[in-house]
Amino acid sequence: MATVEIRNLRKAYGALEVLHDISIDIADGEFVALVGPSGCGKSTLLRCIAGLETIRSGEIRIDGRVVNDLAPKDRDIAMVFQNYALYPHMNVAANMGFALKLSGRPKAEIEERVGKAAAILDLARQLGRKPVALSGGQRQRVAMGRAIVRDPKVFLFDEPLSNLDAKLRVAMRAEIRELQQRLGTTTIYVTHDQTEAMTMADKIAVLNGGRLEQVGAPLELYRTPANLFVAGFIGSPQMNFVAGDLARKANADTIGVRPEHLSVGRDGDGWRGRVISAEHLGSDTFVHVEVPEAGRLTARTVGDMPVAAGDDVVLTPMAGYLHRFDGDGQAL
Amino acid sequence: MSDLALSSRKPAATLNGYRIVQSISVFVIALVVISPLFMLFIASLKDDRFQILADMGSFRAFWVDNPTFNNFREVGNFAGELAFGRYLGNSLLILGSTVSLGLVINSMAGFILAWGSLPGRALILSVIIALYVIPQESIIMPLLIIVSRAGLSDTFTAQILPFVASPLYTFLFYQFFAQLPKELYEAASIDGASIFRTWWSIFMPLSLPALATVSILMGIETWNQYLWPILITQTDYARPISVAIATFFGQDSIFWDRAMAASVLMMIPILVFYLAFQRWFISSFVGSAVKG
Repeated sequence: MATVEIRNLRKAYGALEVLHDISIDIADGEFVALVGPSGCGKSTLLRCIAGLETIRSGEIRIDGRVVNDLAPKDRDIAMVFQNYALYPHMNVAANMGFALKLSGRPKAEIEERVGKAAAILDLARQLGRKPVALSGGQRQRVAMGRAIVRDPKVFLFDEPLSNLDAKLRVAMRAEIRELQQRLGTTTIYVTHDQTEAMTMADKIAVLNGGRLEQVGAPLELYRTPANLFVAGFIGSPQMNFVAGDLARKANADTIGVRPEHLSVGRDGDGWRGRVISAEHLGSDTFVHVEVPEAGRLTARTVGDMPVAAGDDVVLTPMAGYLHRFDGDGQAL
Repeated sequence: MSDLALSSRKPAATLNGYRIVQSISVFVIALVVISPLFMLFIASLKDDRFQILADMGSFRAFWVDNPTFNNFREVGNFAGELAFGRYLGNSLLILGSTVSLGLVINSMAGFILAWGSLPGRALILSVIIALYVIPQESIIMPLLIIVSRAGLSDTFTAQILPFVASPLYTFLFYQFFAQLPKELYEAASIDGASIFRTWWSIFMPLSLPALATVSILMGIETWNQYLWPILITQTDYARPISVAIATFFGQDSIFWDRAMAASVLMMIPILVFYLAFQRWFISSFVGSAVKG
C-alpha cells in the first residue's frame, strides 16, 4: 500500500504536449478513476505512472519515493492492460507466477501465492489452462491475478473491462471493487465510462485535452461540477445546458440542470415545450422535449409516465439543482 | 422452375468449370516440379550410366526395368578421399550450426529493431533492406580475402560464420515481432523481465512460425551452398556433400549413376528438415494471409 503524488507532470511527443501540468494526490488505499473522452490523455498519464512513458517535467512519487527515472519493474506497481496482455504460451499458473519467478522467489512460495490468488479469483480449476482456453471474464481475472500475486504498492488498470460484454462488465466492476477493498491496495483505474468511474472510485479525476478539469469524490463531481465540461461528462443522460435569456435571468451565461432534476407536468410554472420522443425503459422514462426558449432538453421521470411524442408538457427545474456557469464555462 | 432457381444454378456451373481449370493447372504445375525429382530417383536405380544418358530426353527416363540399389552402395567409393558419410556429416554440421546460430542472432537483431530503444532504428532498417538486394556472389571475393586473412580457410567456421547474420532473416524476424502486441513487451517489463529475458521467454516461444520459416529458408540455402565451399576448402576435411558430388563428374568420365544416387542421398536430410518444420512454415503463411 502506498500514496501516489503527481506534481506538475508534463508529457510531450516532440513539440506536441499531451499532458499539461497535472497534479493529483492519491491517498494510501484509495481507488482513483481517471476519466475523460478518447484522446484526453488518461491512458498516457497511467503509462507515465507505470514508467512505460517518459515525462518531460514534473514529479511522480510512489510511497514518498520519486520514481521518475525508475524502470517499470522497480516502481513496485502492477498493471492490468485493456487486452489483458497474458502470455499466450504460458498456462494460468505460469502467467500469474512469472513476475515472482523473475524475482527469484522459491518455487514453493510462488505456488503458494499463485494458489492463494487463484482461490480469491475463483481460478483454482483453470491454473493448468492456456489463456486461449479461457472466457473473456476468466482472462480478465487472470490479468488481475497476475497483478495481485506480486502484492504491489499500486494497481494500475487501463480500461480493463472494455473488451467484455455489458453484463459481464457490470459483474466484473463489482468484483474489482470488492477485491480492491479487500486488499486495500492503492488503485488507479482508467476508463472512458463515467458510470464505471462513479460506481467504483473513491475519487475521480476528470481529464480533457490533456488537462485535469476536476478531482473529487463521485458525488462531489456530480453535485458541484467545476465547469461545463465536468458537468456534461459526469451524469447520464448528460446535463441539459441552456444559454440566452433563461440563463441571464439566473445571472449566468449558461445554466445547467440534470435530467433527473426536471419534473415533467401538464401545466404549472416552468418551461413549456412539446415532446419530441419518449424512451420508456421500464424503471425510467427519458422525455426529450423541444422548449422554444431553451432548445432541446431531456427529462428523466418515472417509468410509467404516460407521455408520448407530440404531447405538450411543462418542465420545471427542481429548486436548488440549477448549476450556473460564467462565460468561460466555470461554475459560479 | 422459378427464375431464382435458374439463376442460382448458373454460378454453380461456372464454379465447377473454374475448379476443373484450377485442378488441371495445379496438376500441370505439380508435374513440372516433380518430374525432375522423379527422373533423378529413377536414374539412381539404374545400374548402367550410359543407359541413363541414352534415356534422357525420352519417356524411358521415367522408367526402370531392373531397379537396383547398387549405386547407393557404391557411392562411398567414388566421392573424394573420405567416405561419403563424412561429407554428409560435414554438411549436417554446417547446416545445424548455421541455422541454430542464425536463429539466435537474427531473431535477437529483429527483436531489438522491433522493440528496443535503438537510436537511428529507421536508418538501420533501411540499410538492412538495402543489404538484402546485394547478391551474395558480388561480395564473395572480398569475403574470401577477409576469411583467408583471418586464417579461417579450409575450416568449418569459414562456412558457418559469414552466413549466420542475414539481412533477410533479421528483417523477417523484425516484421514478425513488430506484429505482436506491444502490451506483451510492456507486461514483461513491468513483471521485471530484462530485454534478453523478454526475447527468450516471451517472444521466442510465440515465434514458431517465424523460426520455422527462417530454419527452412536458411537450411535450404546452407545445404545448397556450392560456390563458397569450393573457394574456401582446399582439402576434404571440411568439404560439404554438394562439393563432394562434383567428384563424380570427372574430366574423362561422368558417373551419372552414382551422381544420381548421391543426389538422392543429399536430398534426404533437407527433406527431413523441411518436413520437421513444415507445419509451422505453412501456418506462418496462412496466419499472414488471414491477418491480411
